[in-house]
Amino acid sequence: MAKLSLRNISKRFGDTRVIHDFSADVDNGEFLVLLGASGSGKSTLLRIIAGLTDASAGDVIFDNLRVNRQSPRERDVAFVFQSYALYPHLTVRENIAFPLALDRFKAWHHIPGISTFARRIFGSSKDVVKQVADVSSMLELDEYANRKPGGLSGGQRQRVALARALIRNPSMFLLDEPLSNLDAKLRAELRGEIVRLHRLTGKTFIYVTHDQVEAMTMATQIVILHNGIVQQHATPQEIYERPANTYVARFIGSPPMNLMNATVTEGLPTVGGLRLPAPEGVRIGNGAVTLGLRPEHLSLSGDTSEDGLPATVRRIEDLGADTLIGVQPGQDLGLKLWELNQDELIWIRQAGQTRLMVGDPCTVKLQDRLASYFDSETGLNLAPAKEISAAGMLSSLG
Amino acid sequence: MTTQEAPPIARTAPHKRRLKAPGNRNFSKPVRFIMLAALVLFSGFPLYWMLNTALSQDSELYGQAQGWWPHWERLADFGDVIGSVPIFKWLTNSMVIAGGTTLLSLIFAVLAGYALSRFKFHGKGAAGFLLFATQMLPEALLVVPIYALFASLGLLNGMGGLILANVAFTMPVSVWIIKGAIDAIPYEIEEAAAVDGCPRVTILSLVLTPLILPSIAAAAVINFFDGWNEFLLAKTFIAERDLWPASVGLASFVGQYLTSLNSVMAAALLFTLPALIFFLLVQRRIVSGLTAGSVKG
Repeated sequence: MAKLSLRNISKRFGDTRVIHDFSADVDNGEFLVLLGASGSGKSTLLRIIAGLTDASAGDVIFDNLRVNRQSPRERDVAFVFQSYALYPHLTVRENIAFPLALDRFKAWHHIPGISTFARRIFGSSKDVVKQVADVSSMLELDEYANRKPGGLSGGQRQRVALARALIRNPSMFLLDEPLSNLDAKLRAELRGEIVRLHRLTGKTFIYVTHDQVEAMTMATQIVILHNGIVQQHATPQEIYERPANTYVARFIGSPPMNLMNATVTEGLPTVGGLRLPAPEGVRIGNGAVTLGLRPEHLSLSGDTSEDGLPATVRRIEDLGADTLIGVQPGQDLGLKLWELNQDELIWIRQAGQTRLMVGDPCTVKLQDRLASYFDSETGLNLAPAKEISAAGMLSSLG
Repeated sequence: MTTQEAPPIARTAPHKRRLKAPGNRNFSKPVRFIMLAALVLFSGFPLYWMLNTALSQDSELYGQAQGWWPHWERLADFGDVIGSVPIFKWLTNSMVIAGGTTLLSLIFAVLAGYALSRFKFHGKGAAGFLLFATQMLPEALLVVPIYALFASLGLLNGMGGLILANVAFTMPVSVWIIKGAIDAIPYEIEEAAAVDGCPRVTILSLVLTPLILPSIAAAAVINFFDGWNEFLLAKTFIAERDLWPASVGLASFVGQYLTSLNSVMAAALLFTLPALIFFLLVQRRIVSGLTAGSVKG
């Protein structure tokens, strides 16, 4: 059982700073997802926690014990790699038994030549065989036990990698994009499997991914990283509902949050000529702000006489259960869509199908109560942040 | 109304169907057989001619034309021909020298190949380059300084010294073969082993070595044959007849005025056999594709 604390972790590769002063506490039993685009430093951070990479500065603390100089083995962590990293010359059974056999090694068993025999002998001892059988059956690997990794599919290989991690009963599981080489169906299946293992073991899981669906469905806490700087550390729900800044707002959600410019006069925001009531719980000063609304917080009407933003339908994407509609706001509104709004359109998610056709005029209605307001200069959310959890507190923000 | 015929149903699984390699498309089986037979004949003929010569009489070899068929009845005299010299002693010496060279060279090569492949250190490029320094100079040029060095170290007239000198010449090639093989192994496998509790030496012995066995086998063949065939250093360093390896012993059959060709060939045949057996043993290990499936794909 381990509580992980990271204190002011920084990492440089030459002149490039990959991680800037990262601090966080992760309580035992949490499922923390490190989420970010490629190059955001999330894998490096995971490797620092594992002891596979040294931090340039800062401390990694397991249960009040500084482990900076300890080897991965001494830290008692298990690591699941994106590329599975199975031992190709060993069978599935031997792969899973490998860490247990190594556990029983005395110093002299590491002498080359002797180590081969020692691994075989310890790997075939009664209790190891039993544990391997238990874990194999838990992950439905029994029938492949005598195959080598080369004869397995991607999903089966990743299961073997999970089994190899699981059998050691480590204090913490570190998973580096374990599902990104798999197809969508297998990914969903193994996602469920990993969540099940987390519940079953009750251990801390730290999971790196660039896939927000994985993050949102699995995590108890998410840390969003961008260029090595923490953008937000919160629960999935908090991140979705109250993104800390415009980067998080754009990163989470598909399609992402619609961001548009608004002007505040006497505490009342105006967007595209549409005056909104004063937002609750947010103190906004007069001047420019950025207004954010999730696609499901907007609705469309074919009746152009209704109150709202006049627009024209440009794209319709029917997803079956719901429909995504991309509309272009009227030119005369002077509404600037925030930088990268997908295709410069406002996206609306609507349950079921729509009767509107591409080119139809329409009115966009805003559920202003659910809007987020961001500082137009810094991009920070103007609403105060909630405490994320009793245990996990973000000590540093960038 | 016309009915459309269904496509024929394949009776074998796709992976069991025999696929024609693109290059074989134009050759039928008998033609391929004939071509292979010609190749075997071509490469096997020198060996056959050695045997034929070994079983011929001097008069045949120096006088009339040598017959195409060996005189099998002379096989009984074979023993007499080679009994006059300690050929088995020499072969044993050769085995010790070639085996020792191979073993020592491979141990160094695996360690050096691993270091060159995985570690970053100052002078890495220079170290890799200097390894080849011995290959750049002709062996004959280095014999004199090595002789002087060995003389001062008391390494002359012994197999240990000869093995050391041989290793200096054979190891560089092995290092580069093994470095190349280690380069091709994903680093994650090593990291996985480190997380599983392996120190570096165990990663090397338990995980990497089995994965690079084909390359080790290839390097072993090169080292063994280099050690087995080596002549110049052995001839220079070893004066005592009983310590000669077979290569030097074989050369002693060539006299200043008279060379008994059939004796030379009889001894040469014996000289070839252990090397051939070694190759056949190791050859099975030289297979590729052992790392398939370790990582994604």
